[in-house]
Amino acid sequence: MASYLVRRLLLAVLTLFLTSLLIYALIRNMPGSPLALDMGNDPNFKLTDERKAQLEKLYGLDKPWAIGYRDWVFNVMRGDLGDSVPEKRSVVQAIRERLGPTLLLSCCSIALAYVASIPLGLYCSARSGKADERGISIALYALYSLPSYVTALMLLSLTFEYLRDTPFELPLQGMRSPNHDQMSSLGKGLDVLKHLLLPLTCLTYGSLAYDTRFIKANMEEALRQDYIRTARAKGASRLRILVRHAFRNTLIPFITILGLSLPGIVGGAVILESIFNWPGMGQLFYQSISRRDYELIMGLTLMFTVLTLIGQLLADLAYALVDPRITYH
Amino acid sequence: MSVLSPVLGRLLVIVGLLICAEPALAQKKEFKLGDMIKPFTPPSLSELDKTAGWQDRPVLDALELLRTKQAKEKPLATVAEALKLKNDSPKANNIILSALGRLPASEAAVDWDASIARHINFDIKSINPLLTSSTSEVDVNSLHGYALFSFDWNFVPFATKETVAKWQTSKDGLMDKVIIRDDLTWSDGKPITAHDVVFSFKVLLSSEVPIPAQRTGTDEIKWLEAYDDYTLVYFHKAALATNVWNLNFSVIPKHIFESTIADDPTLLKSKAHVAYENNPVVGGAYRIASRTPGQNIVLERREEYYMHKGKQVRDKPYFKTIRFQIVQDPTVALLSLRRGDIDELILTPTQWLEQTSSNEFYSKCTKAYATEWVSFHFLWNQKTPFFSDKRVRQAMGYAFDHEELLQKLRLGLDSPSTGIFHPDSQWAPKPAPKPMKQDLDKAEDLLAAAGWEDTDNDGILDKVINGKKVKFDFTILVANRQDRIDICNLLRTNLDQIGIRCTVRPLEFATLIQNMQDKTFEASFGGWGTGTDPDTSLNIWGKGENRNYGSYDNPEVDKLFEQGKREFDPARRRLIYQKIAQLVYDDQPYTWLFYQNAYYGFNKELRGYMFSPRGPYHYGPGFSSIYRPAMVE
Repeated sequence: MASYLVRRLLLAVLTLFLTSLLIYALIRNMPGSPLALDMGNDPNFKLTDERKAQLEKLYGLDKPWAIGYRDWVFNVMRGDLGDSVPEKRSVVQAIRERLGPTLLLSCCSIALAYVASIPLGLYCSARSGKADERGISIALYALYSLPSYVTALMLLSLTFEYLRDTPFELPLQGMRSPNHDQMSSLGKGLDVLKHLLLPLTCLTYGSLAYDTRFIKANMEEALRQDYIRTARAKGASRLRILVRHAFRNTLIPFITILGLSLPGIVGGAVILESIFNWPGMGQLFYQSISRRDYELIMGLTLMFTVLTLIGQLLADLAYALVDPRITYH
Repeated sequence: MSVLSPVLGRLLVIVGLLICAEPALAQKKEFKLGDMIKPFTPPSLSELDKTAGWQDRPVLDALELLRTKQAKEKPLATVAEALKLKNDSPKANNIILSALGRLPASEAAVDWDASIARHINFDIKSINPLLTSSTSEVDVNSLHGYALFSFDWNFVPFATKETVAKWQTSKDGLMDKVIIRDDLTWSDGKPITAHDVVFSFKVLLSSEVPIPAQRTGTDEIKWLEAYDDYTLVYFHKAALATNVWNLNFSVIPKHIFESTIADDPTLLKSKAHVAYENNPVVGGAYRIASRTPGQNIVLERREEYYMHKGKQVRDKPYFKTIRFQIVQDPTVALLSLRRGDIDELILTPTQWLEQTSSNEFYSKCTKAYATEWVSFHFLWNQKTPFFSDKRVRQAMGYAFDHEELLQKLRLGLDSPSTGIFHPDSQWAPKPAPKPMKQDLDKAEDLLAAAGWEDTDNDGILDKVINGKKVKFDFTILVANRQDRIDICNLLRTNLDQIGIRCTVRPLEFATLIQNMQDKTFEASFGGWGTGTDPDTSLNIWGKGENRNYGSYDNPEVDKLFEQGKREFDPARRRLIYQKIAQLVYDDQPYTWLFYQNAYYGFNKELRGYMFSPRGPYHYGPGFSSIYRPAMVE
């Protein structure tokens, strides 16, 4: 096991190098630069050759991209992810500010999706072909095909029109009310929860639909196996068959998607964050690309790559846990 | 796998050794304050006072200016009448602005404990006024920042009475003397002095300090000397009419930053500077009470700003609390306005026309619009075989359906643009050029005169250039926004009718800007806001200038710009820029399209808003004329 972990670690480092090199080469060679953007639309902004040289130095544009990449790698090895000039703070600080709200939203979303999809998926597989299952499946397909940003705006308009001036009124955007700091601890918690409700709904219903269908499909495959017929013949109850026998054997694909969703937890959701003004990472990443914020893009790429690799490793290790036939050398 | 791991392991060791051996990157450069300023020994103040021939310049209170202006105007209706109106015509708009825009009749008419919730699209990145670069930051930092100069709704600059006691310019135009008031303190109690201004000047001109936006203009000052705690003299490199615009820059407290800047010239990273961001020392009318990243910023009025030693020494700002609410999505922002979460909002044309006319909207809000000098155009690259000929550029203007653009695409809300300055501006030629109207025959004649004919009957015009037959087939670049793409598609349809093939290429903004700067484009769609001084247009129209993307080249225009910079007499200066505007218009380097007006929704309880060509806030008095009345009618 130890040599397996070491091999995985070395491979991970190689993957990190290759990914970061590719991304850096791409963003440095893309048209557009932070200097070009500074000149933007402000008629008052003038650029002398001296200023241009200073700004090129500031943005790292005075060196070829290969040197820039080398400098970035060396700084990262020293634990310095650099500064984001457009964000006017260090990369670490920019990420740290957005991480909390993103984690809150995505962890709740993933937890809710799994907690709700497992019983729903099992129920659908138990009632497969019946009227209620058909109804649920159609509803889930409908939900899955509805884009989240359309739902977000619709929900906002509906809650605004119909819940305004009622006790169930929901906030339109943000994470906190203006008077959040004056609330009690319980009040603060409820305030965040109220703000979380709509973005959480919009973020979750798609994966809920997908996960439920996924579990149902895998369950149907598992239920066709011989050992299920044996368990039924032995007189095991339907619930026991579903949960103890069939479901456990669908865990491998389930863990795969759980592992791959790890980077998604911090990836955020650009459009929903913009609509609900949720201060998340998706926005940060999107803006960093359109602003050609090289330092921040690289910092975020590093973080997402590391998380993807960790997620894959954890998923692989979890396979060994759930399936005794799998071992690693 | 087993073969690879020793290789990988060795690779890691090598990399590790390289890192440890790499010396150059970790070296820290010694910080030199003001290293971009050339050394200069200023004469003594007594010497200057003897020889300068100081001439007084205006030191004004912007609110007083507005009061004087309004005293000469009679309101078109009472407040109650204006509040009953729906803003569905220019007449209604004028009534609303006239009645609701009046300053309070007396101090008793103002609710001094009122608060306002303002809207911004994006969070501010820093409260340090030196690092201001976005519109949100201008809005927020101008309220807590300390400044010496402003300009009125006609873009006439003045020193602000709130902060300046006296302003004089030397007879030769090479020096400006400013005596700042001695009754202002930073929010930590220390007095604001001329040394803070000089220190800020030096910080702005330190090469280690990354200040993309603010160095412009400040770097044209040769030297700034503080002769005592309150007397400043600015030394200019040349006697230019534009020097006055270089005088104003943001000021930071010297006593805080002089000890921290050497460790962290970026002003962002060190513990001290991060702590400052969370607890800044401000010199303006408002202090930052709280800041929730991504959500809001709350400012509170500073009593010590308008009170000094127990006496009121300047205008008390109307609002006690100002909350900047960040709402990114325009649909959500309008819902927030209707709900009362925000009190003011820029409306999109569609929102203005279709979503703000109901009784429900008017139960809490009203709306107003005014001309803003933001114009849009097609830009022709004169280095291409297509657009080097003036006749072809003129033909583009005649081919385009301006009526369709204004009435359909701009919903009948915007006015046509006819050149580099707005017709209302003193710099625009008088009489202003007539807006162009579509005339396909004229366009075809001009193109034929320029040598473009369909010689091979394939429906596309062609011309032999340098022995090769070139088809009139070009690409127009545009930012990836549907409203702008629609305008380019209209052009494409129009040009199709006269045998010109045009491909519309939407691009991501940074890519578009890069193409413009590298001049790797044939045509593009773009827009400009307005500078406060017409000399800022030199950047766009001067030969070889940064923003002269189309490679426009007119030596007479270049000469006139040089003259305009040096002309101090306002009447003669006006004529110079009017001539420039006429010459540029005749050359048609752009096809000018329309001016985008400013459309605002306001809470019904607000009063005192007035629009300038830069909108309701970014001039003097700007935001500071807005208030809530003591009793809501």
